[in-house]
Amino acid sequence: MAVLIGVALFASPFVIYRANRIVAGDGRMLVDALPPPGAFGVAAVALGVALCGALIRTPLIRLAAASVGLCAIFPAVGWSAGFVTPAGNTFARVSPSLGFWLLALSFALIAADALTRLRLGPWARLAALAAAIGAIALLLLSGAWTDLSLLKEYANRQDTFWREARQHLWLAFGSMVAACLVGLPLGVLAHRVRAVRTAILQVLSIVQTIPSIALFGILIAPLGFLAAHVPLLAALGIRGIGAAPAFIALFLYSLLPVVANTVTGLSQVPAAVTDAARGMGLSARQRLWQVELPLALPVILAGIRIVLVQNLGLATVAALIGGGGFGTFVFQGIGQTAIDLVLLGAIPTVALSFAAAIVLDAIIDLTRRGSS
Amino acid sequence: MSRRSFILRAAALFLLVLFIAAPQLFAFAFKPLTINDAPAIYNQGSLLALTLSHLRIVFLATLASTVLAVGLGIFVTRPSGSEFLPLSRSLVNIGQTFPPIAVLAIAVPLVGFGEKPTFIALFLYGLLPIFENTLTGLMEVSPQTLEAAKGMGMNPRQRLLQVELPLAFPVILAGIRLSVIISLGTATIGSTVAAKGLGEVIIAGLQSNNVAFVLQGGLVVALLAVLIHDGLGLAERMAARRLGRPLDEIS
Amino acid sequence: MIEIERLTKRYGATTVVDDVSLRVEDGAIAVVVGTSGAGKSTLLRMINRLVEPSAGRVLIDGEDTMAIPEDQLRHRIGYVIQGYGLFPHRTVAENIATVPRLLGWDKRRIAARVEELLDLFQLDPAEFAGKFPHELSGGQQQRVGVARALAAKPALLLMDEPFGALDPVIRSKAQVDLLAIQRRLGTTIVLVTHDMNEAFQLGDKIAVMDQARLLQYDTPAQLLTHPAEAFVEQLVGTAERPFRLLSLLHVQAALEAGDAEGEPIRITDSLRDALSRLIWVGREALPVVDASGALVGRVSVQGILAHGRSAA
Repeated sequence: MAVLIGVALFASPFVIYRANRIVAGDGRMLVDALPPPGAFGVAAVALGVALCGALIRTPLIRLAAASVGLCAIFPAVGWSAGFVTPAGNTFARVSPSLGFWLLALSFALIAADALTRLRLGPWARLAALAAAIGAIALLLLSGAWTDLSLLKEYANRQDTFWREARQHLWLAFGSMVAACLVGLPLGVLAHRVRAVRTAILQVLSIVQTIPSIALFGILIAPLGFLAAHVPLLAALGIRGIGAAPAFIALFLYSLLPVVANTVTGLSQVPAAVTDAARGMGLSARQRLWQVELPLALPVILAGIRIVLVQNLGLATVAALIGGGGFGTFVFQGIGQTAIDLVLLGAIPTVALSFAAAIVLDAIIDLTRRGSS
Repeated sequence: MSRRSFILRAAALFLLVLFIAAPQLFAFAFKPLTINDAPAIYNQGSLLALTLSHLRIVFLATLASTVLAVGLGIFVTRPSGSEFLPLSRSLVNIGQTFPPIAVLAIAVPLVGFGEKPTFIALFLYGLLPIFENTLTGLMEVSPQTLEAAKGMGMNPRQRLLQVELPLAFPVILAGIRLSVIISLGTATIGSTVAAKGLGEVIIAGLQSNNVAFVLQGGLVVALLAVLIHDGLGLAERMAARRLGRPLDEIS
Repeated sequence: MIEIERLTKRYGATTVVDDVSLRVEDGAIAVVVGTSGAGKSTLLRMINRLVEPSAGRVLIDGEDTMAIPEDQLRHRIGYVIQGYGLFPHRTVAENIATVPRLLGWDKRRIAARVEELLDLFQLDPAEFAGKFPHELSGGQQQRVGVARALAAKPALLLMDEPFGALDPVIRSKAQVDLLAIQRRLGTTIVLVTHDMNEAFQLGDKIAVMDQARLLQYDTPAQLLTHPAEAFVEQLVGTAERPFRLLSLLHVQAALEAGDAEGEPIRITDSLRDALSRLIWVGREALPVVDASGALVGRVSVQGILAHGRSAA
């Protein structure tokens, strides 16, 4: 790890400077990227973290050091952008380069490692997530990053960005909610009737196997047919291409984890507990709501976590068939070889999945604690 | 395998091969989907060549990920590598929240268009399930079995090759299967960055507004994925049956 | 012969085995008993060096085990653990062949040895050789585990709770079978158990351990009549003591001249069984016959009771 930090500091460019957003850029080493005191400061902090990572075993100290490191380089890269860009030049683009990414990666790894070793409780993990979100929001709002090319791309597309964000969330969360509404009853049914269970799980696992873009493609034809022949659906905005096939595909993908985990969760409820509930005169319905579902909840939530992380990622592909979402920027960026545009789509996607995973893991832990 | 499911599989495979080799035979079925007399069957390249290059890149990437991921999995479960076990686990957890498309998209600016970014995305993303399953498989080997192996005088190398890896094999195979399926899908999207593959058919259809292309591309990719998934699953069940560990019905 | 000299194992500040010395004669069964956590498994595992001793040494036929490379040492020592640790991916025959294969025996010799062992353990080779462990019952798995440990004809067999996973009925049968096989092969056995009955059933000598120390190492009879410490006395059980003592002795020991009425008792039966028969049929004495069925004398309640006293 210390080697990685060393390479990042002394052998790789900290930022890349490009005369405009399309041309190839040239790297600026740390010493050229910041005024001398700044460069010295960043180097000192990074070396400190490297030493800490190499010598100190206490997770808490390692975590603190890594956080200090992250707090140093994130504003620094924004500062550097302002420093490197010639005054008044609005075409020039400055983006973080290998050196920055390596530093960020090493610090994040040290922090992640320390966090794993600390075995934080769910509330502490949520608090850490909130702190990280707060820090990033502060950086964004304070304008420290305004000179970075990523933010310039954002500034150019502010309206579209939020529209696509809403679309992305609608696709991911909407299909998840729909999958829960259908999947939970289906799971309960599958748990009770063996024949249904085998059939449903087999069909759903075949659906899960189909690559996303292929499933989108397969859905386009029947939806287009429906839209052409059923005016009501067309009036609702359902068309062959667009959000409808994406939404349906995500919904279908989401069903397997929801149904399978509901079945698993219910089958893990100890027979003694259901027997006792029956002995106390609870009806089948009361047993389901008061005993079986609460006990199966952590497993069901684990299924929902899979769905959410999977949907947030897959929703990116929806842009290919005109379904919108952050994928729009990714595919536009690929088309224009504009890495910043790709990142404008990819970073929010990754951040959302990451945050969703942390939040749901915490919720799962909390329900587990409640039920054990 | 029951007779009925065998016939079903054979029929699906036959249909797929026939379509890839002689797509014009099926033109009648796709014709109604076209408008303005557009071609019903993909005509900008041979489906067979696209399928083969699609499979080639998936195979090569999976092979590379398998070698590295199994190697890493073995390393972190040895005493000398145990220091890296927690770190590698959290890395895998973090890595899995990255959608494969993001990996693909970020690779393009770094290495340019074509097969390379697709290969990188396939390779990197393919590492995760295999690594995770290698860990699970190796750590699931019962301590009693290991104790007995050690007690009979097997050296660490003999224990790994004769006991641990054979026992972990079905679980590793399950990881490879997952990785292949994800790769098949990601390779399809790879066509957006100009990698040769079946995604081309779908994307060409989307660009020229030809639903027939989109549908046939989607069907070929889907059938291919389902059959490969099924075939690998069969191999896995055969491996697991020997160990008396029937896999549960959904996996 | 194996000699354990002042063997000690420490983990940090805790001592798990504290200065234990004992000696097991060739062809004898030594049973180590104690409560869980007494250090008996660690003691056993130091013999084949699965645990490296902190101090002291183990000699096998006078040779220091530290002088033998550990894998070679283990090839020479059979090892059976609770749950047996059979390789689930290998057939019964392949499991048994493990050590011979490691030693590079040729195929024909291995096959012959596997067949011989399966016969010895009453497992029909035609039926069992190709089976996988998960297809066997618990008792069959146990026999395969022992057969595997004996495959390379080790002079010493280490057993750690080898009957612990069996239900009581199968367990006593497995104990009897093990005794028979051990007497036939003359293998030296060191066996660890927490079950005092098992210790009395199998042990030529019993080592009682508590809190890392060896409290007493003696014959079963000595342990009953002269327990070295209160803990040993408590472990062997005060109420059961006379019966235990009687079950160690054969009718031979209490044989009297003379005659008696009733169903004869065999001279090889234990005194405990003889007493139980006498009580059941309500007689003072019964005739005794030898292996050929010839009358050799009689055994009486009075005579047996004399052997069940601590002074005996």
